[in-house]
This record gives sequence, C-alpha cells and structure tokens, in this order.
Amino acid sequence: MSSPATGRSLGLLLCLDCHATVRGGSAPALRCPRCHAHLHERKPHSLAVTTALVVSAAVLYVPANILPVMDTRTIFDDENDTIMSGVLVLLHSGSWPIAMLVFIASIVVPLLKILALGVLLYSAWRRSPRHRLQRSALFRMVEFIGRWSMLDIYAISLLATLVQVRSFASVIVGWGAWAFAAVVVLTLIAARTFDERLLWDPPQHD
Amino acid sequence: MSPLIVCPACDLAQRRATAPPGGRAHCARCRATLQRPENAAIDTAISWALCALVLLLLSNAYPLVAMQVNGSSRETTLAGAALGLYAQGYASLAALVFLTTVAAPLLQILTVLYVLIPLRRRRHAPGQNAVLRVLTRVRPWSFMEVFMLGALVALVRLAKFAHIEPGISLWSCVLLMLCLSALTSLTPPQQLWRWVERNGA
Repeated sequence: MSSPATGRSLGLLLCLDCHATVRGGSAPALRCPRCHAHLHERKPHSLAVTTALVVSAAVLYVPANILPVMDTRTIFDDENDTIMSGVLVLLHSGSWPIAMLVFIASIVVPLLKILALGVLLYSAWRRSPRHRLQRSALFRMVEFIGRWSMLDIYAISLLATLVQVRSFASVIVGWGAWAFAAVVVLTLIAARTFDERLLWDPPQHD
Repeated sequence: MSPLIVCPACDLAQRRATAPPGGRAHCARCRATLQRPENAAIDTAISWALCALVLLLLSNAYPLVAMQVNGSSRETTLAGAALGLYAQGYASLAALVFLTTVAAPLLQILTVLYVLIPLRRRRHAPGQNAVLRVLTRVRPWSFMEVFMLGALVALVRLAKFAHIEPGISLWSCVLLMLCLSALTSLTPPQQLWRWVERNGA
C-alpha cells in the first residue's frame, strides 16, 4: 500500500490553535500567519513529556486511593473516608445510582485513563501500524471522559465548605484529595501533550 | 483559503469539504471531526455569552445551597466552594476549583465578548489575536457541568443528616451550565478565526 498524502509528506503544517493550513516544511520557530501561535510538525517532545506525566499520575494514583480524602467529625464519631469508602457510604445510604456515578468517575475513569494513555504511548513509541482506528477512538474517549473525574473534588470542596458546624460536625479535607486532584490534572495535561498524529505516522519514517 | 485541509488528528491531507446541513465533515482516514456546520451567527454567540455572563454573576452573588443543622445554618456561593478549601490550607486545590468553576468560565465569556462585539461592526479589538490565544488555552478548563454533578453528589451525602435548602444560585448554575455548553459548541477557536477572517477590517 502506498502511503497516503499527509501534511508532513506535502510540507503542510496545521496550526493546532486556529486550524489554518500553512505551507512551511519544518523550519524551526515558525509561527502561524493568522494567529501567531508556534507551529510544529508534531507537538515537541510529545512522547517524553506525556510519558513523564502519565508515570507521575500512576504513582500518585496510589496515595489518592489509600489516603483519606476527607475526615468527617461529628459529636458521635470520627470517620475517615477514602474515595472507595465514600462510595460505600453512598451505597449504604441507599443512593446506588450516585454511588455508581462516583465509583465510575473517581475510580474507574482515572485508572482507565492511565492504562489507555500507557497503551497509546507504547504503541506510538513502537510506531505500530495495527488497530490505528481503534487507538484513535480510544484517545478521543480519554479526551472526552477526563474532566468528569473532577466530580469528587467538587463534592469534597462543597462538603468542606458547608459542613463546618462548630461542635456538631465538621469535614476536614485530607491529603488523599490533593493526590487525587493531582492525578486528574496530570492526566488531563497528558491528554493535551500527547500528539495523536503519532498514532498514524508511518513506521519507516526517520 | 487553502483547498487542502490537514486532519488535526492523523495528519491526512484531503480536499476541504463543507459539512452537510446539520451534519459534520469527518476525516476520511481516522473519522475525526474536521468541519462542523456553520449555522450560527456572531449575534447568536454574543447573546449566549451575555446570558452566561449574567448567570455567572448571579451564581456568585447568591447562595448555592444552605444547610440547616441543629438550628444553625451555613450557606455557600459558587466561589465559596473554593474558599472553603483555601480556609483549610489547601491553596492549590482551592486554586484548581476556582480556576475550573469561576475563572475559566468567566474568561471564556469575556474573551468571546471582547472579540465578537467589535467584530459585528467589522472592527478588530486591540490585542485580538492574543485574546483569542488566551481563550484557546482557557476553554478546555471550564468544568461547569462537572461541578453541577459534584454538587449533586455532595447534596445527596448531606441530605442524610441535615436540612438542605437550595438557593437561587443553584438554579442559575444549572442555566449557566446550559449556556456555557451552547457557547462552547458555537465558538470553537476555528469558528472564531473564521469570523475574524470574514469580517476583516
């Protein structure tokens, strides 16, 4: 199969900010004539930067799930909640749809994102020509679902703000919440530094 | 305009096609969306942005929810949620919440208005290109719809042991979420640049 005409083979650059097509080859420090954004044939150091972000996120995923995200102190007891025990609290209070929602957004989605980005990075390093369409779709899904993991952070921030009733109940935020937010932000940035065009670059290049 | 378009997702060069009415043009190779139909006018985008601006101000001026427990009551606004984290010493978390629920939506609205209002009269706002670049950077961090779902989770957890009173701002936040989604889908950076090009001074 002959390789199809691509921006790279024709010497056309695409401005990722405004989507202008620019004739330019690979001159360094080229700027978009329309919006003046920096132009690159591929995002610079995409694989290295994205790998660093995904590895950091994977490391922080452990404290995010082990450390308590919040500590609820009432006159009756003192309850340390991790993300998972928060899901169980919701489940036991009878609101299983909400429990499912939090479970998916806070536990499944971040884990899937880290794994999916890992798979995408590995296949892009190897310039694997297989299952490109599926990998492209996988990347788009990672991009789409990423923001929904912030849900728990917002819930915690509202609880910590509202539940400050002196001597009756208070919610104290734990470092697990910080680690969890870091995982979410790192994976969000990783999805932006990853250049999905690398999934389609022909193996014989360079 | 170049007759060729390069797919942002797979770099395939292909002839520029206009999206069918109500549909989208997809990349022939990777199926990424290349072109959305242009059915919006600048005025439509401006009205959504103005609407969102009013709702954002309302959401920060009035309480989101009030909680009554043991005779005492506490309430918070939209921005108050970030302040609660700050008060507990989590400045970075507070900044993240503030950025994604207040600052990014506000910047998104203001930059769209700043560029589009002069453009109606075929004028370019000073620093237009820099402002549009700010918008491109900020837009992906506007998480209002996620915040609303998070608020729902928090309210379900609270409803067990306290009386929850929804505030005016809860409703304005729901409307704000809808306005922002409309604004976001009407004004992708590419569309704004097309308007800029077409209304060249």
